[in-house]
Amino acid sequence: MAALTELGPDFYRALRFLVVDDQPAARQGLRICAQTMGAFLVEFSAGYQDAIARIRRAPPDVILCDYQLGGERSGQQLLEELRRFDMLADEAVFIMVTAEQAYEQVVAVVELAPDDYIIKPFSPERLKLRLDRVLRRKRFFQPLYVAKRAADFPAAERFLDESRDTDEGQLHRFELMRQQAEVQILKGDAEAAERVFDEILAAHAFPWARAGKARALVGQNRLQEAREIMDQVVIDAPMYFGGHDLKTQICMDMGDHAEAQRTVEEASRKTERNYVRKRLLADAALLNGDTETAIEAMADVVRNDSTPGAVTVADRLMLVRSLVEAGTLVEAERALDEITPQRLETAGLDERASWQALRALMKPDAERARVAGLRNAWMATPFDAQTRLDIVRAAMALGDRELATAMTHALFASDEIRRVFKVVRDLFEAQGMSPVFRELQRRAALQKISHGDDVPPEAPLQGV
Amino acid sequence: MQGVLDILSSGVHDAKNQLFLAETLLVQAEAEHGISLDEARFAIELAALRLSRVLTAYKLQRGLETLSISMQPVGELLEEAVLINRKHCERLGLSLTVAHQRPVLWPLDRELSLDILSNALQNASRFARSRIVLSAEEREGFLRLAVEDDGAGFDPPPHTAAPRLGVGLFVAREIAAQHQRGGRQGRLSLSNGGALGGAVFELWLP
Repeated sequence: MAALTELGPDFYRALRFLVVDDQPAARQGLRICAQTMGAFLVEFSAGYQDAIARIRRAPPDVILCDYQLGGERSGQQLLEELRRFDMLADEAVFIMVTAEQAYEQVVAVVELAPDDYIIKPFSPERLKLRLDRVLRRKRFFQPLYVAKRAADFPAAERFLDESRDTDEGQLHRFELMRQQAEVQILKGDAEAAERVFDEILAAHAFPWARAGKARALVGQNRLQEAREIMDQVVIDAPMYFGGHDLKTQICMDMGDHAEAQRTVEEASRKTERNYVRKRLLADAALLNGDTETAIEAMADVVRNDSTPGAVTVADRLMLVRSLVEAGTLVEAERALDEITPQRLETAGLDERASWQALRALMKPDAERARVAGLRNAWMATPFDAQTRLDIVRAAMALGDRELATAMTHALFASDEIRRVFKVVRDLFEAQGMSPVFRELQRRAALQKISHGDDVPPEAPLQGV
Repeated sequence: MQGVLDILSSGVHDAKNQLFLAETLLVQAEAEHGISLDEARFAIELAALRLSRVLTAYKLQRGLETLSISMQPVGELLEEAVLINRKHCERLGLSLTVAHQRPVLWPLDRELSLDILSNALQNASRFARSRIVLSAEEREGFLRLAVEDDGAGFDPPPHTAAPRLGVGLFVAREIAAQHQRGGRQGRLSLSNGGALGGAVFELWLP
């Protein structure tokens, strides 16, 4: 308890506070609380957009944010947006303020929880008690933040090992375990992560820990087991939308696109303004062949995801892709025109190749020569699965079987084929190239059996 | 049912927002005039707590209340319950002390557990002669949170008759029972005697 006195008025005097509330009287109330604790630098914000602008300009040390921000915005959305665009350092404190006791249930299930929350009414003393705890916790975990930012996993693990048995470490035992599991996942050691999640689950079946275990299983390619866990988690914790997202990813990895779409659709309906989830919905819907839903979701993202820099070229390409798939070429062209040369300049190799492939898909004859000039470079570039699939489609439209086969071979060589397997198989079938597809599949299986050892150069595929 | 709950919730939240404003105005007045309005602030917090409790009771009765369990530092829970009630007890001339070493962490619903403890402390402050002890320990695989006082005890004694169940005790009993883990269920226990000879309120959480 003695540590409490460390964080006296002088300490608070140096901190920059931002109070976010749409009600002037409530802002005043929070300012009085902050000043009673010793705060000197207290800034106000009346709402979502203004808060984002202020935080971007000068990141505060402590944000006291009301849960209800007026309009359709909530403090939770603000927090998610700040984290999504990395506008808040790990060291910064975000405390949600609410009169709703039921907020506890919100905070228990959200992916990005605030550092703490406090239910109105409260005295300045109580707010200080909570804030002191958060600040002490942040100070305790500071070496871990630094190590994680530098992707210095040995340093992160050292901190976690050394902290566990200290007095303060005991207080944060579960957070330390959780961080340990996360570090293992970042390192790619999914088995170690699974062991830590099991240790947490022995104490209590927290939905986040069950989801963590599922992620660790995905990392070990044990999709069926991961799926079984997440099937149950979304039933037990229906408001844990991060659980829905994870189940969606697993279903997509397993090729069960119908269930993927159903799952993310349910979560998206309840979180209308979560545009990250809307993107996931579009992915699942398109793989599921529901172009209408994909178009609607991506059009919403492009139109309404209003934080500067939120809508990327990849998003616009996804809209184009969905429109092309739906056969609405006029709209697709219009959406493609939105990707101006300036926008394209900011894009990566994947997006540029996808952009070109989608153009070729819409106008094969006009783009044939351009693709001919690019195809060899494309075959040598390690694109992501989505871009490879775009190229496969374009190649099919251009009648370039060799390019389609090379791209599919590359998809098989990565684990990403699972998601697009059915789509690619159907594309080959439509071109009367099913035997080629089966041969690619056979070779991939053989390569897997040989445990990734160098396989001798392959004989050319028949029918290509 | 959801419709009624929404109306009730929104009314309670509005009221709590107003109470928060009232409390901060008192805080401001304290700072400006160098006075202490602790009891007025305490009364405001108590009013808010009662409003919440009525809403919780309604939700419990309708089966709409669900807990939100997380790993909580037990010491922090006790510390906060004391912070809420200390000044009030001091004004009544009561000493409020804490006895706790272990366990460090326990899975529980922080806000609801805090309300239950706060309610028990307020009850104790009405009947204690001079002392109240808030304690926590691990016993028989449960977290036992107890509020004991040196007053005359429950009347009639809980073992002779079913206690009159006010909203506070109803909520406490139901919330305790909703804490479930490994096939075990939380419970409430009321008795007379204990180390201080008065009322003993125990919340057992698995």
